[in-house]
Amino acid sequence: MDLAVGTNLDRFVIIVYFVIVMGFGAYFGKYSKTTSDYFFGGRRFSWWLITISIVATGIGSHSFVKYSTKAYQYGFSSTMTYMNDWFFMPLFMFGWLPIIYYTRVGSIPEYFEKRFNKTARSLATLMILVYMIGYIAIQFLTLATALYRIYGIPLMATVVIIAVATTIYMHFGGQTSVIFTDLFQGLILIFSGLLLFFLGLNYLADHTALGGLQAFWQNLTPDQKLPLAHFNHPPDFNFVGIFWQDGIAGSVGFLFLNQGLIMRFMAARSVNEGRKAAAFNVLLVLPISAIVVSNAGWIGRAIANAVPGALPAGMEGNDVFVAVTNVVSSPGVFGFIIAALCAALMSTADTLVNASSAIIVNDVYRPLTKKKTNDKEQLKIARFTSIGVKVIAVILVPFFNSFDSIYEAHGWFHSTFTPPLVVAVFLGIFWKRFTTPAVIATFVLGAALMILGQFFPELVKPFSHGIELRPGRGYYYIGALYNIVVCAGVGVIVSLFTEPEPKEKLKGLTLSDVNSLREIFKGSKPNDRLGEKVTVFWKLIDSDKNIVRFSKHEMDKMAAEVGDLVYVSDSRKWLGGLKSIHSVYGEPHEEEGIIYISEEQLGHGQFVKDRSLIAEKEM
Amino acid sequence: MLDFSRTWLPFLYLYGVGGIAFIVGIMLILRTKALNKEIAHHRIWLKVLYFGFGFYITLHAVFILLALGSS
Repeated sequence: MDLAVGTNLDRFVIIVYFVIVMGFGAYFGKYSKTTSDYFFGGRRFSWWLITISIVATGIGSHSFVKYSTKAYQYGFSSTMTYMNDWFFMPLFMFGWLPIIYYTRVGSIPEYFEKRFNKTARSLATLMILVYMIGYIAIQFLTLATALYRIYGIPLMATVVIIAVATTIYMHFGGQTSVIFTDLFQGLILIFSGLLLFFLGLNYLADHTALGGLQAFWQNLTPDQKLPLAHFNHPPDFNFVGIFWQDGIAGSVGFLFLNQGLIMRFMAARSVNEGRKAAAFNVLLVLPISAIVVSNAGWIGRAIANAVPGALPAGMEGNDVFVAVTNVVSSPGVFGFIIAALCAALMSTADTLVNASSAIIVNDVYRPLTKKKTNDKEQLKIARFTSIGVKVIAVILVPFFNSFDSIYEAHGWFHSTFTPPLVVAVFLGIFWKRFTTPAVIATFVLGAALMILGQFFPELVKPFSHGIELRPGRGYYYIGALYNIVVCAGVGVIVSLFTEPEPKEKLKGLTLSDVNSLREIFKGSKPNDRLGEKVTVFWKLIDSDKNIVRFSKHEMDKMAAEVGDLVYVSDSRKWLGGLKSIHSVYGEPHEEEGIIYISEEQLGHGQFVKDRSLIAEKEM
Repeated sequence: MLDFSRTWLPFLYLYGVGGIAFIVGIMLILRTKALNKEIAHHRIWLKVLYFGFGFYITLHAVFILLALGSS
């Protein structure tokens, strides 16, 4: 279908949006002084900041296109994938999150080396990198597909422009820039998604004799109002297949293996802040996100039923989002909503690029290089790596463009690369008996059995739950169940026939050790005596140690001892921990209301002169 | 047509199989004391975890009932 969309005002709005985001991201570059800042934002942010920035990461540009399409075809059941993530929250919040936070692993592959060996780390690195860079390529392709229609620039040129734009703020800023631009873009995404819904209801009210919400509800069939799809029909959209692909493999993959998401949680100022971010995200933000990404399709369906001919005849699935937005919004507003699509791309791509360069520096460069490089050099390498990642992603775009649709490209990607990793990480964390030969067999033999399943669909049939086999295309989503079963089967069988790992090797790396992780993290017994927060002003002293010193009185108020861990932040809560540091209590002094800090700590925390600070004991 | 496979079967499967994953998770974190009921804020988290499960069951059930009510 030839869609003529957008006015000059829309084009202008989109360009202004890009410029604002690039400037915003580049500004926060000053907060990235070390590789820890660059990748983890200095582990200092509040839960609400992490939550909103996760929204922008979770909603990719493909989300709008993909879910609007399914919403138009099937109604409310398009929300299924956003509403099935709670089942693994106990294990994530009280298992995986404390493990990755307290063991200070720089990346998921690093966990694999600690838990298993270097070979396991190398295999995990390879699989995760291919997955993430491919994901970035899909993001570039999706947005370019929308923008090149509006600007009339060739698709690949549009891809390159988008890659350059995201590079500008990523290159200088790292994780802090990512978090703050994602905060901004997350809010834009939610606002524009809900605005589109509101405009759609208005359109329905103007073109029917009913109120907007009433017209919307009455022009959807009961079938389209059901929140879950038909159990096993049709083959390209059924409940049970999507449950196994997304609710099980996807949820575990997203929560436990998405390096970008993990890095976001590691940027939280404590494990408890990470838990709050996770809970708030799944309980409140995901249902809202489901509405944000799907509503163009629901509105489109209601318009098609209520006002025949309003939407272009012969509209293709992937065009639903742009076509509906074009119909219900006015010039300028259309540009703003397309800018939200840009926000979705940029915020997902920046997280993945930052995560990919973290893996390359942590899991490829550091283990391979014999030369000891300092943090400054590694930071430089991280910045240039992020450019390299984008170049590879751009090169991969034509490959993904060769699939029938972005939905198919994304689905192929998920089902091919997630299951072995999901099984390996899950058994690694929760089953102490899972051995190193078993994890390698899971990656190699499990993957081989998965490939066999692609060529011989009869192997998948026993798991099909009655889903129809499409000739030449195999089983789609339910293939994830087969993949999980074969990978888990290989892992369990090989474990039972190989020697268990020594207990001391597993210390702090499995669920059974979680309650001792705080002690490992601190290096001594945690001090859990209840204390208060104190307000202090900073004073610079000459010191090269990572300690801060308070008066005896304030130490008593905080119930703190020398050697305990402390968190100090600017008293303005709305900064979300941007100006803050973690440190260790030193010997007390005599000046009440004053904290002694070093020049390095001042630079790291970016504290402002004469502005009060809040200090609290961590453990 | 809104038969059982279109309405309540997906719901029962979702919270049956997903529920097993959830309960096993709760049992594991309690047994290993990763979630320690002796710590006050951990007790609150346990309630939040149960609430989340109940919240999603209710949300899906209400929408199924609303859809059936409009047929």
